[in-house]
Amino acid sequence: MKKLISRILVGVTILASSACTKTDNYDGPNASFQGNIISSEGGNLPTSGGSTTIKLQQIGWTTPQTIPSKFDGTFQDTKLFKSAYKVVPTGGAFWPVYDTVTVNIAQGTKHDFVVTPYIIIKNFTTSLTGTTLTLKFDITAPVVAGLPTIKDVQPYVNTTKLVGTGASIRDFSDLNAVTINKEFIDLTTAQKSITLTVPNLIPGRTFFVRAGVRLSDSFNSSNFSEIVQVDVPK
Amino acid sequence: MKSIHKFIIAISIGVGVSLTSCQRLDILPTNIFTPEIIYDSEAGVKSFLATIYHNLPIEDFKYRPDQGFKTGGNDWENFYNSASVTGEEVGPFGGMDIGGGFGYWPYGDIRNVNTLIAELPKHVAKLGQPTVNALLGEAHFLRAYYYFGMAKRYGGIPIITVPQDPGAPLSTLQVHRDKEQAVWDFIGTELDLGYQMMPETSDAGRANRYVAAALKSRAMLYAACVARYGSVNFVDGPARAQGLVGIPADKATAYFQAAYDAAKLLDGHYSLYNANSDKVQNYVDLFLKSTSPENIFIKQYSIATHTAHSWDATMSPRYFTANALSRSYPTLDFVRLWGELPVTNGDGTPKRFDNRAQLMQGLEPRLLATVYFPGATLRGLMFDMQRGIYPSFSGTAAAEVAKQANSRSYILAGDTKTLYQGKQVIGFTGPWTGGDELTRTGFYVRKYVDYNKPQSAVDLNRSEQPWIDLRYGEILLNRAEAAMELGNAGDALTSVNLIRSRAGAAPYTSIDLNKVRNERRMELAFENQYYWDLKRWRTADVVLDRAHFKGLMPYYVLNENKFIFLAETELFNREYSFQKQFYYEGIPGGEIGKNPNLLPNNPNY
Repeated sequence: MKKLISRILVGVTILASSACTKTDNYDGPNASFQGNIISSEGGNLPTSGGSTTIKLQQIGWTTPQTIPSKFDGTFQDTKLFKSAYKVVPTGGAFWPVYDTVTVNIAQGTKHDFVVTPYIIIKNFTTSLTGTTLTLKFDITAPVVAGLPTIKDVQPYVNTTKLVGTGASIRDFSDLNAVTINKEFIDLTTAQKSITLTVPNLIPGRTFFVRAGVRLSDSFNSSNFSEIVQVDVPK
Repeated sequence: MKSIHKFIIAISIGVGVSLTSCQRLDILPTNIFTPEIIYDSEAGVKSFLATIYHNLPIEDFKYRPDQGFKTGGNDWENFYNSASVTGEEVGPFGGMDIGGGFGYWPYGDIRNVNTLIAELPKHVAKLGQPTVNALLGEAHFLRAYYYFGMAKRYGGIPIITVPQDPGAPLSTLQVHRDKEQAVWDFIGTELDLGYQMMPETSDAGRANRYVAAALKSRAMLYAACVARYGSVNFVDGPARAQGLVGIPADKATAYFQAAYDAAKLLDGHYSLYNANSDKVQNYVDLFLKSTSPENIFIKQYSIATHTAHSWDATMSPRYFTANALSRSYPTLDFVRLWGELPVTNGDGTPKRFDNRAQLMQGLEPRLLATVYFPGATLRGLMFDMQRGIYPSFSGTAAAEVAKQANSRSYILAGDTKTLYQGKQVIGFTGPWTGGDELTRTGFYVRKYVDYNKPQSAVDLNRSEQPWIDLRYGEILLNRAEAAMELGNAGDALTSVNLIRSRAGAAPYTSIDLNKVRNERRMELAFENQYYWDLKRWRTADVVLDRAHFKGLMPYYVLNENKFIFLAETELFNREYSFQKQFYYEGIPGGEIGKNPNLLPNNPNY
């Protein structure tokens, strides 16, 4: 019996020592890529979940991958393979970027993209009367000719700082949307000053609020205002 | 003596060797089918055709839009259908879960057809020219069917018409995509060949010349709409710039004309099912009678061959069946295509009904035959939908529905056993929020449900009623839509009124495109058409833009002993959004990995 066991052990040792002699000589995904999506009108482009992404096409590979932007218009991916990539920002409410840039992505590679937003939300103010929140803002467009139809404007309300499409309380947000369905060029000056109301907020709670203008481009994407905190008194 | 023995042995060996050796080993292999076995007899070809038909992309009871065509013995979850993301129904999908498709890529099946087309002409001597021609026509039809299944998903895909040689250089095997327009033109030409070469009649489940014409009317209508509406509402990208997706708008008229002409070929050869003067029963039977003159192309099922489906066991709740559960519920939004239901008085208060069934009075027979309303009966049992009990009810319907749930005065229950003052609170058939197996909208599907089956026989994989893939009703609607798009309103009105008269609806005196489209939605509901209609009309991203759907909740008002019906959000209140990129599915990543020449992929993939 002992003999048998020792023979098996010898066998296992031989097999174990002969296996795994090849070492993986490929680098792990230790490259990183980060940067800002800068609005041509100044500052970072305010974005949201399910909105702007950076699309990367590794040269010599077929399937593209994406880095979703953060709400403040930055992006970061620290688990990429070192290589040359064609990169382009897409999916957000800005004029399409057709020229892809080739970037050699290695450790700590940084790159900023400049995009021209469809719509800019200016003079964004909020005021609270009782439990009714009023949002006021003006919209302008850096480029008017060929701008996609404006579908609607709406408030986004959430209990965390991550607020936008797909991250908002529907009863306070989507249900308070105002349909526009007009071309920007056909809007009067008065129609470019927009007031939204969010009634029946819950007393004693803190909300994070922003406004969005949705356009009928390829992505039905939205331009956003900055995010403000609203404390509803008890 | 010894030497004689040796001599005899030597001779016997010599003779033995010379007799048995040198037999050349060129006998036919016994373990594989050679071309002669398959193609020298009609029976052989038929057995090969069976495989090709079996895999056709027919979107039948078992088709699951996020997983594919199901041909197994236990593909019972028939409620995972496209109707349940388009607002015809709400169902098991949590949202628009089918937009990306399932990576359909049937080049293996197309290779089978290509092989058939290459081989048949070599066997004219055995089969005879007329048989070969008829079979070739059938093969062209089948090839068109497969390409149609891909064209409506991907737009332009490689057109491969001969079996590829696996030994050929990689560069010839890695084919490029053809333009979308070229693919639709190819489909049209193939179906023309099918029409010219096939006979007038066929066995049930097989194609004849009119099946080819019928499919052509469907396919050309799709192409025409891609040209007309896809050139307005589209997502830009390299694939579009190269014509791999999209068709120039000026080609629309020719495709609409082709659809119209193809539909017209069926004139006088098929007719609407009108056997029963009871309009409701007639419309119900249309989907269950194999003798219907409306059936153009059907797919059959059988318990014996383990191909039966489970429509009956999954469209009705367990209350009416021997097993399983339902998860697919028509919406009030869909029912409202027929107009507002008379559930509210002029002053906004809910109308009081003595019983649930009163609601059905005066409704169009086709609607009643398509949807089971509260109060309808099946297998001797009543659809007793009841969301809850109001001890008393005052005020308007709109004000009541607008209230927060916790400030409404109704009594609800977590199960069917709960009683309130001796009365059952919710019906055996729901509505109920505790699970997904009772209605969330107050309605159930009636179309295709076999009411004749005894309850004990309504089990999984026990339904054999054929799927009617092409029926004359659709052809009339294809014709009406094409006619309307071509500016021939008179012809469209005639076709639509034929449909309406059979449905038991009042005929129209005038027509417009919207009426034609709505008639199509009503007539072809739950037949896996509307999803593709929304896609080809390029209205899906508008209709399904953060869409929520409604149900009609029946309540019992205790102190009045009456029923009321309130229009409320379906009980799971799910949201459906169709992204514009879904007008085309992305070319499957695995295929691009094998053949990078399929790039560029469709816009946004």
